[in-house]
Amino acid sequence: GEAMLRGATVVLRRALSGGQGPEPGQVPGSARLEPSLLRFLVCPLSKRPLRYNEATNELINEELGIAYPVIDGIPNMIPEAARTTQKKPPAEGSKQP
Amino acid sequence: AAAGLCPYRALLARRGGALRAFCGSVRGLAAGPETHFGFQTVTEAERREKIYRVFESVAKKYDVMNDSMTLGIHRVWKDILVHKMNPSPGTLLLDVAGGTGDIAFRFINYVRCVRERQLQQKIRHHQNLSWQEIAESYQEDKSKSLGDSQVVVCDINKEMLKVGKQKAQHLGYSEGLSWVLGNAEELPFDDDKFDVYTIAFGIRNVTRIDLALQEAYRVLKPGGRFLCLEFSQVSNSLLSRLYDLYSFQVIPVLGEVIAGDWKSYQYLVESIRRFPPQEEFKAMIEDAGFFKVDYQNLNSGIVAIHSGFKL
Repeated sequence: GEAMLRGATVVLRRALSGGQGPEPGQVPGSARLEPSLLRFLVCPLSKRPLRYNEATNELINEELGIAYPVIDGIPNMIPEAARTTQKKPPAEGSKQP
Repeated sequence: AAAGLCPYRALLARRGGALRAFCGSVRGLAAGPETHFGFQTVTEAERREKIYRVFESVAKKYDVMNDSMTLGIHRVWKDILVHKMNPSPGTLLLDVAGGTGDIAFRFINYVRCVRERQLQQKIRHHQNLSWQEIAESYQEDKSKSLGDSQVVVCDINKEMLKVGKQKAQHLGYSEGLSWVLGNAEELPFDDDKFDVYTIAFGIRNVTRIDLALQEAYRVLKPGGRFLCLEFSQVSNSLLSRLYDLYSFQVIPVLGEVIAGDWKSYQYLVESIRRFPPQEEFKAMIEDAGFFKVDYQNLNSGIVAIHSGFKL
Protein backbone atom coordinates (compact mmCIF):
# COMPACT_ATOMS: atom_id res chain seq x y z
CA GLY A 1 0.00 0.00 0.00
CA GLU A 2 1.71 3.11 1.30
CA ALA A 3 5.12 1.47 1.26
CA MET A 4 4.72 0.51 -2.36
CA LEU A 5 3.67 4.02 -3.30
CA ARG A 6 6.67 5.47 -1.49
CA GLY A 7 9.00 2.98 -3.11
CA ALA A 8 7.53 3.45 -6.55
CA THR A 9 7.93 7.23 -6.42
CA VAL A 10 11.55 6.87 -5.32
CA VAL A 11 12.24 4.49 -8.15
CA LEU A 12 10.53 6.76 -10.68
CA ARG A 13 12.66 9.67 -9.54
CA ARG A 14 15.83 7.62 -10.05
CA ALA A 15 14.62 6.48 -13.43
CA LEU A 16 14.29 10.08 -14.57
CA SER A 17 17.90 10.70 -13.61
CA GLY A 18 18.78 7.82 -15.95
CA GLY A 19 19.71 4.42 -14.57
CA GLN A 20 21.24 2.21 -17.20
CA GLY A 21 22.17 -0.77 -15.09
CA PRO A 22 25.38 -2.82 -15.29
CA GLU A 23 26.88 -4.02 -18.56
CA PRO A 24 25.90 -7.61 -19.26
CA GLY A 25 29.02 -9.68 -19.49
CA GLN A 26 31.41 -11.49 -17.28
CA VAL A 27 30.47 -11.32 -13.61
CA PRO A 28 33.27 -12.66 -11.40
CA GLY A 29 32.40 -15.61 -9.15
CA SER A 30 32.88 -13.65 -5.96
CA ALA A 31 30.38 -11.03 -7.08
CA ARG A 32 27.60 -13.48 -7.85
CA LEU A 33 24.59 -14.04 -5.68
CA GLU A 34 24.62 -17.11 -3.48
CA PRO A 35 21.95 -19.47 -4.83
CA SER A 36 20.74 -20.45 -1.36
CA LEU A 37 19.52 -16.89 -0.78
CA LEU A 38 16.97 -17.20 -3.57
CA ARG A 39 14.79 -19.29 -1.29
CA PHE A 40 14.30 -16.37 1.07
CA LEU A 41 14.64 -13.19 -0.93
CA VAL A 42 11.61 -11.21 -2.10
CA CYS A 43 11.07 -7.62 -3.12
CA PRO A 44 11.01 -5.53 0.08
CA LEU A 45 8.23 -3.36 -1.33
CA SER A 46 5.77 -5.88 -2.71
CA LYS A 47 7.07 -9.03 -0.92
CA ARG A 48 6.72 -10.80 -4.26
CA PRO A 49 9.26 -13.21 -5.78
CA LEU A 50 12.28 -12.01 -7.72
CA ARG A 51 14.07 -13.37 -10.75
CA TYR A 52 17.86 -13.55 -10.66
CA ASN A 53 19.45 -12.29 -13.86
CA GLU A 54 22.89 -13.91 -14.00
CA ALA A 55 24.16 -11.78 -16.83
CA THR A 56 23.59 -8.45 -15.12
CA ASN A 57 23.84 -9.83 -11.57
CA GLU A 58 20.54 -8.30 -10.54
CA LEU A 59 17.36 -9.42 -8.83
CA ILE A 60 14.39 -8.40 -10.94
CA ASN A 61 10.85 -7.69 -9.85
CA GLU A 62 8.99 -8.07 -13.15
CA GLU A 63 5.70 -6.68 -11.87
CA LEU A 64 7.10 -3.40 -10.62
CA GLY A 65 9.79 -3.29 -13.28
CA ILE A 66 12.66 -2.76 -10.86
CA ALA A 67 16.03 -4.40 -10.39
CA TYR A 68 18.10 -4.73 -7.23
CA PRO A 69 21.87 -4.90 -7.75
CA VAL A 70 24.17 -7.55 -6.32
CA ILE A 71 27.51 -6.05 -5.34
CA ASP A 72 30.40 -8.28 -4.28
CA GLY A 73 27.93 -11.10 -3.74
CA ILE A 74 25.75 -9.01 -1.41
CA PRO A 75 22.26 -8.21 -2.74
CA ASN A 76 21.30 -4.58 -2.13
CA MET A 77 17.64 -4.82 -1.19
CA ILE A 78 17.11 -1.18 -0.29
CA PRO A 79 14.38 0.22 -2.58
CA GLU A 80 16.27 3.48 -3.12
CA ALA A 81 19.12 1.47 -4.66
CA ALA A 82 16.93 -0.25 -7.24
CA ARG A 83 16.72 0.88 -10.85
CA THR A 84 13.84 0.56 -13.27
CA THR A 85 14.23 -2.05 -15.96
CA GLN A 86 11.80 -0.60 -18.47
CA LYS A 87 11.84 2.52 -20.63
CA LYS A 88 8.10 3.00 -20.08
CA PRO A 89 6.63 3.68 -16.61
CA PRO A 90 6.15 0.68 -14.28
CA ALA A 91 3.23 -1.72 -14.81
CA GLU A 92 -0.39 -1.03 -13.80
CA GLY A 93 0.05 -2.45 -10.33
CA SER A 94 1.89 0.59 -8.95
CA LYS A 95 0.29 4.00 -8.46
CA GLN A 96 1.41 7.35 -9.90
CA PRO A 97 2.39 10.05 -7.38
CA ALA B 1 12.00 4.46 39.85
CA ALA B 2 14.82 4.20 37.33
CA ALA B 3 13.46 7.07 35.26
CA GLY B 4 13.45 9.43 38.21
CA LEU B 5 17.05 8.65 39.06
CA CYS B 6 18.44 9.52 35.72
CA PRO B 7 18.64 13.32 35.41
CA TYR B 8 19.08 13.19 31.68
CA ARG B 9 15.90 11.28 31.15
CA ALA B 10 13.82 13.76 33.13
CA LEU B 11 15.35 16.72 31.30
CA LEU B 12 14.73 14.99 28.02
CA ALA B 13 11.11 14.24 28.77
CA ARG B 14 10.35 17.88 29.58
CA ARG B 15 12.41 19.49 26.82
CA GLY B 16 11.59 16.90 24.20
CA GLY B 17 7.83 17.20 24.61
CA ALA B 18 7.70 21.00 24.39
CA LEU B 19 10.23 21.17 21.58
CA ARG B 20 8.44 18.53 19.62
CA ALA B 21 5.12 20.38 19.84
CA PHE B 22 6.74 23.64 18.73
CA CYS B 23 8.58 22.06 15.83
CA GLY B 24 5.48 20.22 14.79
CA SER B 25 3.46 23.38 14.37
CA VAL B 26 6.24 25.38 12.69
CA ARG B 27 7.59 22.79 10.29
CA GLY B 28 4.30 21.12 9.49
CA LEU B 29 4.30 17.65 8.08
CA ALA B 30 6.39 18.46 5.04
CA ALA B 31 9.63 17.21 6.56
CA GLY B 32 8.04 14.08 7.98
CA PRO B 33 7.11 13.02 11.50
CA GLU B 34 9.33 14.14 14.35
CA THR B 35 11.60 11.73 16.12
CA HIS B 36 14.86 11.78 18.04
CA PHE B 37 18.56 11.39 17.30
CA GLY B 38 20.09 10.91 20.70
CA PHE B 39 18.84 13.97 22.55
CA GLN B 40 18.14 16.03 19.42
CA THR B 41 14.76 16.29 17.73
CA VAL B 42 14.90 15.52 14.03
CA THR B 43 12.65 14.23 11.25
CA GLU B 44 12.55 10.51 10.55
CA ALA B 45 14.42 10.97 7.28
CA GLU B 46 17.17 12.98 9.02
CA ARG B 47 17.44 10.38 11.74
CA ARG B 48 17.95 7.53 9.28
CA GLU B 49 20.60 9.53 7.47
CA LYS B 50 22.45 10.48 10.66
CA ILE B 51 22.45 6.93 11.98
CA TYR B 52 23.69 5.63 8.66
CA ARG B 53 26.59 8.07 8.89
CA VAL B 54 27.39 7.05 12.45
CA PHE B 55 27.83 3.42 11.48
CA GLU B 56 29.59 4.22 8.25
CA SER B 57 32.07 6.15 10.32
CA VAL B 58 32.59 3.59 13.09
CA ALA B 59 32.42 0.38 11.01
CA LYS B 60 36.13 -0.31 10.85
CA LYS B 61 36.66 0.34 14.55
CA TYR B 62 33.35 -1.15 15.68
CA ASP B 63 34.75 -4.29 17.28
CA VAL B 64 37.67 -2.54 18.95
CA MET B 65 35.30 0.07 20.38
CA ASN B 66 32.93 -2.59 21.70
CA ASP B 67 35.78 -4.25 23.52
CA SER B 68 37.06 -1.00 24.97
CA MET B 69 33.73 0.41 26.05
CA THR B 70 32.40 -2.75 27.63
CA LEU B 71 35.79 -4.10 28.72
CA GLY B 72 35.12 -7.15 26.60
CA ILE B 73 31.90 -7.97 28.41
CA HIS B 74 29.84 -7.59 25.21
CA ARG B 75 31.33 -10.94 24.17
CA VAL B 76 29.79 -12.60 27.20
CA TRP B 77 26.42 -10.98 26.52
CA LYS B 78 26.48 -12.30 22.97
CA ASP B 79 27.51 -15.77 24.16
CA ILE B 80 24.57 -15.76 26.56
CA LEU B 81 22.21 -14.79 23.75
CA VAL B 82 23.27 -17.72 21.58
CA HIS B 83 23.18 -20.11 24.52
CA LYS B 84 19.67 -18.96 25.29
CA MET B 85 18.76 -19.56 21.64
CA ASN B 86 20.19 -23.08 21.96
CA PRO B 87 19.96 -23.73 18.23
CA SER B 88 19.90 -27.27 16.95
CA PRO B 89 21.42 -28.31 13.60
CA GLY B 90 19.06 -27.39 10.78
CA THR B 91 18.04 -24.07 12.34
CA LEU B 92 17.50 -21.11 10.03
CA LEU B 93 18.57 -17.87 11.65
CA LEU B 94 17.98 -14.32 10.48
CA ASP B 95 20.34 -11.95 12.23
CA VAL B 96 19.19 -8.38 11.65
CA ALA B 97 21.47 -5.39 12.12
CA GLY B 98 24.10 -8.10 12.39
CA GLY B 99 26.71 -6.09 10.48
CA THR B 100 30.04 -7.37 11.71
CA GLY B 101 28.84 -10.93 12.23
CA ASP B 102 29.29 -11.48 15.97
CA ILE B 103 26.02 -13.35 16.44
CA ALA B 104 26.29 -15.22 13.14
CA PHE B 105 29.74 -16.62 13.96
CA ARG B 106 28.66 -17.69 17.42
CA PHE B 107 25.61 -19.39 15.94
CA ILE B 108 27.79 -21.33 13.50
CA ASN B 109 30.21 -22.38 16.23
CA TYR B 110 27.33 -23.52 18.42
CA VAL B 111 25.55 -25.70 15.83
CA ARG B 112 28.84 -27.15 14.70
CA CYS B 113 29.57 -28.14 18.28
CA VAL B 114 26.12 -29.64 18.76
CA ARG B 115 26.42 -31.54 15.51
CA GLU B 116 29.80 -33.01 16.46
CA ARG B 117 28.42 -34.11 19.80
CA GLN B 118 25.44 -35.72 18.04
CA LEU B 119 27.71 -37.72 15.78
CA GLN B 120 29.98 -38.78 18.63
CA GLN B 121 26.99 -39.93 20.64
CA LYS B 122 25.76 -41.99 17.74
CA ILE B 123 29.09 -43.76 17.44
CA ARG B 124 29.32 -44.32 21.18
CA HIS B 125 25.92 -45.92 21.31
CA HIS B 126 26.65 -48.08 18.31
CA GLN B 127 23.52 -46.98 16.54
CA ASN B 128 22.99 -47.87 12.95
CA LEU B 129 25.28 -45.57 11.08
CA SER B 130 25.60 -45.73 7.34
CA TRP B 131 29.13 -46.18 6.00
CA GLN B 132 28.97 -42.60 4.79
CA GLU B 133 28.22 -41.29 8.27
CA ILE B 134 31.08 -43.28 9.74
CA ALA B 135 33.45 -42.04 7.07
CA GLU B 136 32.30 -38.46 7.65
CA SER B 137 32.82 -38.67 11.36
CA TYR B 138 36.46 -39.57 10.79
CA GLN B 139 37.10 -36.94 8.17
CA GLU B 140 37.61 -33.27 8.61
CA ASP B 141 34.86 -32.96 6.00
CA LYS B 142 32.94 -29.75 6.51
CA SER B 143 30.12 -30.49 4.12
CA LYS B 144 27.68 -31.62 6.82
CA SER B 145 29.30 -30.00 9.80
CA LEU B 146 26.44 -27.53 10.16
CA GLY B 147 23.70 -30.03 9.49
CA ASP B 148 21.89 -27.70 7.07
CA SER B 149 21.85 -24.82 9.54
CA GLN B 150 21.95 -21.42 7.91
CA VAL B 151 22.31 -17.84 9.01
CA VAL B 152 21.42 -14.78 6.94
CA VAL B 153 22.97 -11.56 8.16
CA CYS B 154 20.92 -8.51 7.22
CA ASP B 155 22.12 -4.95 7.79
CA ILE B 156 21.23 -1.57 6.34
CA ASN B 157 24.80 -0.34 6.33
CA LYS B 158 27.19 -1.28 3.53
CA GLU B 159 30.32 -0.57 5.54
CA MET B 160 29.28 -2.75 8.45
CA LEU B 161 28.50 -5.65 6.10
CA LYS B 162 31.83 -5.19 4.36
CA VAL B 163 33.64 -5.47 7.68
CA GLY B 164 31.56 -8.53 8.57
CA LYS B 165 32.29 -10.27 5.30
CA GLN B 166 36.02 -9.61 5.62
CA LYS B 167 35.98 -10.95 9.17
CA ALA B 168 34.21 -14.08 7.99
CA GLN B 169 36.83 -14.71 5.33
CA HIS B 170 39.61 -14.03 7.80
CA LEU B 171 38.17 -16.40 10.42
CA GLY B 172 37.27 -19.08 7.89
CA TYR B 173 33.48 -18.89 7.99
CA SER B 174 31.83 -19.52 4.65
CA GLU B 175 29.37 -22.37 4.75
CA GLY B 176 25.82 -21.64 5.82
CA LEU B 177 26.41 -17.91 5.96
CA SER B 178 24.96 -15.19 3.69
CA TRP B 179 24.89 -11.40 3.69
CA VAL B 180 22.05 -9.13 2.63
CA LEU B 181 21.83 -5.35 2.53
CA GLY B 182 18.33 -4.61 3.81
CA ASN B 183 16.19 -2.47 6.08
CA ALA B 184 14.78 -3.96 9.30
CA GLU B 185 11.60 -1.92 8.76
CA GLU B 186 11.12 -3.38 5.29
CA LEU B 187 12.73 -6.81 5.15
CA PRO B 188 13.37 -8.40 1.74
CA PHE B 189 12.37 -11.85 2.97
CA ASP B 190 9.31 -13.97 2.40
CA ASP B 191 6.76 -14.78 5.12
CA ASP B 192 7.16 -17.67 7.53
CA LYS B 193 10.73 -18.48 6.60
CA PHE B 194 13.00 -18.36 9.66
CA ASP B 195 13.22 -20.35 12.88
CA VAL B 196 14.89 -17.58 14.82
CA TYR B 197 15.19 -13.82 14.40
CA THR B 198 17.87 -12.01 16.36
CA ILE B 199 18.74 -8.36 16.66
CA ALA B 200 21.67 -7.54 18.90
CA PHE B 201 22.37 -3.91 19.80
CA GLY B 202 20.55 -2.87 16.64
CA ILE B 203 16.94 -2.16 17.43
CA ARG B 204 17.54 1.09 19.24
CA ASN B 205 18.98 2.44 15.96
CA VAL B 206 15.84 1.58 14.03
CA THR B 207 13.62 4.62 13.44
CA ARG B 208 10.29 2.77 13.42
CA ILE B 209 10.71 0.02 15.97
CA ASP B 210 7.07 -0.99 15.59
CA LEU B 211 7.60 -1.71 11.90
CA ALA B 212 10.75 -3.71 12.61
CA LEU B 213 8.86 -5.84 15.15
CA GLN B 214 6.03 -6.41 12.68
CA GLU B 215 8.51 -7.47 10.04
CA ALA B 216 10.21 -9.79 12.51
CA TYR B 217 6.86 -11.41 13.18
CA ARG B 218 6.10 -11.75 9.48
CA VAL B 219 9.31 -13.53 8.47
CA LEU B 220 9.34 -15.97 11.36
CA LYS B 221 7.82 -19.42 10.96
CA PRO B 222 4.97 -20.33 13.29
CA GLY B 223 6.74 -21.53 16.41
CA GLY B 224 9.66 -19.26 15.58
CA ARG B 225 11.47 -17.19 18.19
CA PHE B 226 12.29 -13.51 18.41
CA LEU B 227 15.36 -12.60 20.44
CA CYS B 228 16.58 -9.09 21.09
CA LEU B 229 19.76 -8.18 22.95
CA GLU B 230 19.84 -4.49 23.78
CA PHE B 231 20.95 -1.93 26.32
CA SER B 232 18.22 -1.30 28.85
CA GLN B 233 17.44 0.41 32.13
CA VAL B 234 19.49 -0.20 35.24
CA SER B 235 17.44 -0.99 38.31
CA ASN B 236 20.10 -0.49 40.99
CA SER B 237 20.43 3.19 41.97
CA LEU B 238 24.14 3.23 42.82
CA LEU B 239 25.03 1.29 39.70
CA SER B 240 22.80 3.62 37.71
CA ARG B 241 24.79 6.66 38.84
CA LEU B 242 28.15 5.00 38.11
CA TYR B 243 26.83 3.86 34.76
CA ASP B 244 25.74 7.40 33.85
CA LEU B 245 29.11 8.75 34.87
CA TYR B 246 30.92 6.16 32.80
CA SER B 247 28.63 6.61 29.82
CA PHE B 248 28.71 10.37 29.57
CA GLN B 249 32.28 11.02 30.73
CA VAL B 250 34.31 8.05 29.54
CA ILE B 251 32.71 6.61 26.44
CA PRO B 252 32.78 9.67 24.17
CA VAL B 253 36.41 10.20 25.14
CA LEU B 254 37.21 6.60 24.20
CA GLY B 255 35.37 7.25 20.97
CA GLU B 256 37.60 10.21 20.21
CA VAL B 257 40.83 8.51 21.21
CA ILE B 258 40.23 5.16 19.53
CA ALA B 259 37.99 5.98 16.59
CA GLY B 260 38.61 9.71 16.24
CA ASP B 261 34.89 10.23 16.54
CA TRP B 262 33.46 11.82 19.66
CA LYS B 263 30.06 12.62 18.19
CA SER B 264 29.18 9.09 17.11
CA TYR B 265 29.80 7.79 20.57
CA GLN B 266 27.91 10.65 22.10
CA TYR B 267 24.99 9.52 19.94
CA LEU B 268 25.51 5.95 21.12
CA VAL B 269 25.23 6.88 24.75
CA GLU B 270 22.21 9.09 24.20
CA SER B 271 20.46 6.44 22.12
CA ILE B 272 20.84 3.99 24.98
CA ARG B 273 19.17 6.44 27.36
CA ARG B 274 16.38 7.00 24.86
CA PHE B 275 15.46 3.37 24.40
CA PRO B 276 12.30 2.23 26.23
CA PRO B 277 12.76 0.32 29.49
CA GLN B 278 12.22 -3.41 29.78
CA GLU B 279 8.47 -3.48 30.45
CA GLU B 280 7.66 -0.92 27.79
CA PHE B 281 9.66 -2.75 25.17
CA LYS B 282 8.01 -5.98 26.22
CA ALA B 283 4.62 -4.38 25.51
CA MET B 284 5.79 -3.25 22.07
CA ILE B 285 6.83 -6.80 21.24
CA GLU B 286 3.45 -8.09 22.37
CA ASP B 287 1.76 -5.47 20.19
CA ALA B 288 3.48 -6.98 17.17
CA GLY B 289 1.73 -10.25 17.89
CA PHE B 290 4.33 -12.19 19.83
CA PHE B 291 3.37 -14.49 22.68
CA LYS B 292 5.16 -15.59 25.84
CA VAL B 293 7.15 -12.38 25.77
CA ASP B 294 9.73 -12.27 28.49
CA TYR B 295 13.02 -10.58 29.33
CA GLN B 296 16.20 -11.42 31.17
CA ASN B 297 18.34 -8.68 32.71
CA LEU B 298 22.08 -8.98 32.43
CA ASN B 299 24.35 -6.97 34.73
CA SER B 300 21.41 -5.48 36.65
CA GLY B 301 19.72 -4.28 33.48
CA ILE B 302 22.61 -2.61 31.69
CA VAL B 303 21.61 -5.07 29.00
CA ALA B 304 18.45 -7.14 28.58
CA ILE B 305 17.46 -10.05 26.36
CA HIS B 306 13.83 -9.92 25.26
CA SER B 307 12.25 -13.07 23.86
CA GLY B 308 8.94 -13.80 22.16
CA PHE B 309 7.31 -16.50 20.09
CA LYS B 310 5.18 -16.49 16.97
CA LEU B 311 2.43 -19.05 17.42
